[in-house]
Amino acid sequence: MNTKKVLSLGLSVLMCGTLLAGCGGNKEEKGADASGKTLKIAGLDGGYGTKGWEAVAKKFEELKGCKVELQFEKNIADTLRPVITSGKDVPDVIYLSIGAEGGLTDTLVKEKAITDISSLLDMTIPGEKGTVKEKILPGFTDSFTSSPYSDGKLYLAPINYSPCGLFYNAGLFKSKGWEVPKTWDEMFELGEKAKKEGIALFTYPTTGYFDAFFSALLNEAVGPEKYNKLMNYDTATWKDAGVKKAFDTVGKLAKYIEKNTVSNANKEGFTKNQQLILDNKALFCPNGTWLPGEMKDAPRAKGFEWGFTALPKLTADGDAYSTTFSEQLYIPTKSNKDNKELAKEFIAYCYSDEAAKLFYENGGAVMPTANATALIKDDDANKLFYSVVEKGAKTNPVGFAAADAIEGVDLTSADGILYGTVNSVMTGKKTVDQWYDAVIKAVQKYDK
Amino acid sequence: MNKTKEKRRFIWICLAPATILFTVFMIIPTINVFWMSTLKWGGLSANKTFVGFNNFITAFQDMNFIHALQNTILIIAVVTVITMALAIIFASILVREKIKGQNFFRIIFYIPNILSVVVISSIFGAIYDSSNNGLLNSMISLFKPETWETIQFLGNQDIVLYAVIGALVWQAIGYYMVMYMASMSSIPEHLYESASLDGAGKFRQFFSITLPMIWDNIRTTLTFFVISTINISFLLVNALTSGGPDGASQTVLGYIYKQAYNNASYGYGMAIAAIVFIFSFVLSFILNKSTERDPIEL
Repeated sequence: MNTKKVLSLGLSVLMCGTLLAGCGGNKEEKGADASGKTLKIAGLDGGYGTKGWEAVAKKFEELKGCKVELQFEKNIADTLRPVITSGKDVPDVIYLSIGAEGGLTDTLVKEKAITDISSLLDMTIPGEKGTVKEKILPGFTDSFTSSPYSDGKLYLAPINYSPCGLFYNAGLFKSKGWEVPKTWDEMFELGEKAKKEGIALFTYPTTGYFDAFFSALLNEAVGPEKYNKLMNYDTATWKDAGVKKAFDTVGKLAKYIEKNTVSNANKEGFTKNQQLILDNKALFCPNGTWLPGEMKDAPRAKGFEWGFTALPKLTADGDAYSTTFSEQLYIPTKSNKDNKELAKEFIAYCYSDEAAKLFYENGGAVMPTANATALIKDDDANKLFYSVVEKGAKTNPVGFAAADAIEGVDLTSADGILYGTVNSVMTGKKTVDQWYDAVIKAVQKYDK
Repeated sequence: MNKTKEKRRFIWICLAPATILFTVFMIIPTINVFWMSTLKWGGLSANKTFVGFNNFITAFQDMNFIHALQNTILIIAVVTVITMALAIIFASILVREKIKGQNFFRIIFYIPNILSVVVISSIFGAIYDSSNNGLLNSMISLFKPETWETIQFLGNQDIVLYAVIGALVWQAIGYYMVMYMASMSSIPEHLYESASLDGAGKFRQFFSITLPMIWDNIRTTLTFFVISTINISFLLVNALTSGGPDGASQTVLGYIYKQAYNNASYGYGMAIAAIVFIFSFVLSFILNKSTERDPIEL
């Protein structure tokens, strides 16, 4: 009996010993030098594809001597959720936008589970001389999608920016002799003209696109200063008359909506709504620059030509806005501590001219740097979309400030009170006033 | 004495694997759901705050949850009644009557059951298409060509839930039909023979022999209906309408998903999950008790 006890005790000690030795060895491997390290990057296999990431990862490996492991999936939010909950093998860098399906990044922001990367701005870009701050276009790092807590710190690095606005068939406008409306009054006049020809004025893929569309409209209605307060859940500003005007404008749009839009405004049918523009059944559709790519194989009316414009102005002397949508890259707090610096270096490298070129040439993503925008040549189809600001539109940042979740009160998601209710306004099930009151009631709960 | 001990040990050893698996994969997760339902938690970090029954109180004041629960109850009730009635009628026809192509019909009815929910939602996306190309709309327009306005099956908030119910009935009917057919086939033929000698017609035979003889089977399937309708309605709604327009076709499981993930309220989602757990448990129990009959002795 005694021998057995001694033997088992000895074995246990041996096991613990080897376990500790294993841990020690691991630590030694993950030393300060990048060579021998493995950087894990997980992200969404979305509209821009993964070729750009593969090319950039390869160059970064050559530059730093480390290994970069990529995990890109269409349902990455579902894959990462259990990984992050368990806290084991959490990726060093995650590429997933705020507002993406599954709400993973939004939840991480609300849970304060994203690493502060403010020092990234002063970091020298690997392979270049300048810092990230010098490279990045102004305004991008101040938005709520990058600095969600209004504390002046950077948490999510903005990448792949694209203007969102209204898409239309420029060929149709030319053949009918119609002008693209500059104000909402002209817009509704055009709606009447089009109605006579059996064409609806407006459609939308899903209510998820109202975050870009409606926030630009709000910015037009109240101006950037008050808009910032709106995004900070300031009830008094939400009660501003200008805000109500934006709601009323959407209410007026309901009269001109293509009749099948709501039926198809879901995952199953949203391309049918986008198809309405190609078939000359609707004039305008809010969307982002990825739309022509998404619909490239779809049949279209004769003489079809993509047109793109910012939102019409609310008043003749007001401003036109186009929402600038950007995606996010961030380091979760639960990722490997030893890799955090390398992860930051990788993010910094993404802003280099070399990486920007690789991203653009392998999928068409445009980094928010001056040189990346210059990559878009005059004969490039993208030029039309990215030149919307040059044509006089102002850029509108999208996204609310981070706030603690309130159970049962979903204000900002695609199906939430602010955007999801648009479907009911369009079908006439709810009035604009009911929608507006519900939003005010919800904002009051978030306003602290 | 020694033998009983050995026997008992043997029984314990035989039971152990199932008991351990059941505990690890069923009992512990269920207890966990109830524990998480008392937390204010986003699901991803260690910031958990104990809030007691607050989430449950919020749930019963949350009109969106109540609406989703109403939708789910309506779906369970209507799908169960229609599917069960049709499945029993079809099963009875296929077992009792000699009609041409019996096997063909069996296969046709069963096919929807082997399709994935995504395929079913694509099929019904085309059937319910609101443009003139939609299968149903183009068929109806044959009869009313002039002033015909297409029906917005998935866009009209008053219709959408019934459109979802139609798809659910279509996919479930074959499965239950096969189950009822199996038990109908085992009813001894001489019962029908003697009934017909006594002058009982087809309907009399159906209500006096077929239905009582498969009663136990019907009771079992009632529980199946409750559980599977709660689950499949979520999957189908998620793929077909995403719960829309504006929550009109949202089911209670869909609402859990939206709250737990899109609204970063994991604890609240689990509270609703706990309510659904208790609800389906109680409903199955009531159905089971209310359909209890004395066993038939032949």
